[in-house]
Amino acid sequence: MMPTEKAIEIGRELAERWTFHLETRQPEPNRLDVLLASPDDLVPFAVALRVQRIGYLTAVTGLDPGPESGMLELLYHFCQGAAVVTLRLQVPRQGAVIPTLSMIIPSAESSEREIAEMFGVTFDGLRAAGHLYLPEEWPEATYPLRKDWCPPVPAGATTAES
Amino acid sequence: MEETTGTDLFTVPIGPQHPALKEPSHFRITVDGEIVTGAVVRLGYAHRGIEKAAEARNWVRNLYLFERVCGICSHIHATAYALGVERLAGVEAPPRAQAIRVLVAELERIHSHLLWLGVAAHEAGFDTLFMYSWRDREAIMDVLEGLTGNRVNYSANLLGGVKCDVDDAQRDAILKALDVLEGRSHHYLDVVTTDALFLQRTRGIGRMTRNQAEVMGAVGPTARASGVPRDVRVDAPYAAYARYPVMRVVETAGDLEARFVVRLRELFESYRLIRYLLDNLPAGEIRGRMPRRVPQGETVSRVEAPRGELFYFLKSNGTDTPERVKVRTPTIYNLTSVVKLVVGHQLADVPMILAGIDPCFSCNDRTVQLEETNGRTRRWTWDQLHRYSLEVEHGRSL
Amino acid sequence: MAQNSNRLADTMNRVKTWARINSPWVIHFNTGSCNGCDIEILATLTPRYDLERFGVKLKGSPRHADVLLATGPVTAQARQRLIRVYEQMAEPKFVVAIGSCALSGGAFRGCYNVAGGIDQVIPVNAYIPGCPPRPEAIIDGVVKLLMSLARPEPALPEGHRDGVSNVEGRSEPQASAVERAPSPAPAEVLEAAR
Repeated sequence: MMPTEKAIEIGRELAERWTFHLETRQPEPNRLDVLLASPDDLVPFAVALRVQRIGYLTAVTGLDPGPESGMLELLYHFCQGAAVVTLRLQVPRQGAVIPTLSMIIPSAESSEREIAEMFGVTFDGLRAAGHLYLPEEWPEATYPLRKDWCPPVPAGATTAES
Repeated sequence: MEETTGTDLFTVPIGPQHPALKEPSHFRITVDGEIVTGAVVRLGYAHRGIEKAAEARNWVRNLYLFERVCGICSHIHATAYALGVERLAGVEAPPRAQAIRVLVAELERIHSHLLWLGVAAHEAGFDTLFMYSWRDREAIMDVLEGLTGNRVNYSANLLGGVKCDVDDAQRDAILKALDVLEGRSHHYLDVVTTDALFLQRTRGIGRMTRNQAEVMGAVGPTARASGVPRDVRVDAPYAAYARYPVMRVVETAGDLEARFVVRLRELFESYRLIRYLLDNLPAGEIRGRMPRRVPQGETVSRVEAPRGELFYFLKSNGTDTPERVKVRTPTIYNLTSVVKLVVGHQLADVPMILAGIDPCFSCNDRTVQLEETNGRTRRWTWDQLHRYSLEVEHGRSL
Repeated sequence: MAQNSNRLADTMNRVKTWARINSPWVIHFNTGSCNGCDIEILATLTPRYDLERFGVKLKGSPRHADVLLATGPVTAQARQRLIRVYEQMAEPKFVVAIGSCALSGGAFRGCYNVAGGIDQVIPVNAYIPGCPPRPEAIIDGVVKLLMSLARPEPALPEGHRDGVSNVEGRSEPQASAVERAPSPAPAEVLEAAR
């Protein structure tokens, strides 16, 4: 089992000496954030992590900094022991197309399906179609986890904060 | 899509299908005769929009929301959340509180594994084993109720610590319950490893190699049954697991029998851990102070739920309300791995294979959409699939 | 003639209701709950609580069920199925909403994808609060529902007596609805559930 510090170090080296010269940050002792410059970096970097046997894809988080930012952010978390190496990718709010990781990492499929329906990102090459969590009758182009979407308040219901 | 009744097996009891109403199935399984050729997962039955709701509730209210993601492993969800928020706030819960978190987490693991044992036994047609294991499980329910005040949704956690302390009377009650359960657990281990009928449904069935488990991202007992030594309590100790270490329980056969054995052996580890913990409980406070506003930042909180690794990502924008809480439950990863696993197996093996990963959803309401290669479609309830499975099994053993 | 056939129909109804009280068949349906209530319902069937000794049988098919035990806040995916299950039950049928979510949406009230309680979708006869309600509370609630079936119908036609229908004009002194003791089986049930 690779110790945490070693995993972080290898992750950092891969990022900084990689031809893409990716920026890294270490927000906590056991966490390394790697800022990808473009979606094209995603698959090669994920493969590099696998080759170095750094961890497994634990989860993919979608973030919405808000409509004014014009973008969304995807976080791919790879865990090795206590180390968490997170690949961060910024994508445009409209028309974002990201290559799927599911060809090399099958477990990415469910995460990508979830992000697709919750944030409106398209994953190129993702085979399984259709909603994962949202109902069939969910309206088109409606992405619940975006900040500019608010759930309709049912008649007679109290608001969440009251 | 033409709706037909099952061939000579069962008629569909769910009445006339309305073509206009598209009913969501949890699994879309394609079959060629009796062999499964493909499977796709479609969840959403219990999708309540929790992550969105969390963004409209303050940090404290969210503790009670996340407890209810799952009624079976509610404490571990609350623990993952509380640990994450505390980390963002730079607060460390006192040692006694962390120890009690571990205590309740292990008690929860015991109740969850016994619950699963009963449910899986029921899937295999062993209703007596279901009754026995759920009766035994009541001992843990009593202990949890005595300790926290509730049988389910214990709410032991607070942000900054725990709500309930352990006194000598409770300590004795816990130890007594464990003594009884340990004897019973030996019996169950014996049954699952030696009972011929049981083994017929489990040995060699649903095999997942170590490589497959790693590649498909399986976690928890499902992964450990295939030889993958992955356990967050050991790999990344949280709460008080550094103080009370636990051993990984790993089997190598990777089949259904191995998944039973792993969970039963884990019970013994939990019993051992709890006894050691109760003998070495640190003195002191059970709660620390938490600020109402949590400083800006992001953190990751990973814990070992009974079903496997539970992952929380939390982001604070400096207010009393989270910016984002992302939850990745163990079941979704195990489900997608197992769904790929059933391909090539007989349809009758599907219920047991699925039960083997200890999926976290209710037994009664899953429907299965079966697509045959000749283009016909059947829609079965889980009950139908379950009964079909038992019938085939009965035929095999004749 | 019309009065006799009224009495006959009424007798048949009481026989049917009696049979239902003595041995109701229930179906359980989860509309998206966290499973907390569902495992407590399942626990009522296990040896310690043993709901079956009261004659309550858990059925798989709505067609044979008298009572629907419903949990969960009703997600969009569950809604149509809930309605369908309810429609397939034969009259008279009764619905018990179990747990905070089934009552009002519980912790998930206001969440998207959630209707906010069983009675937002189908009529409910009994509500059992709790998060989750413990098995004793569930049994208590179900029994209370059954007991309420034992009470006579209000506003009976003139000349008709409570309890036994008066066929052939035989008149018997009848206790008033309030004084009449509850039928033995349900009382035994209540006592045992205490």
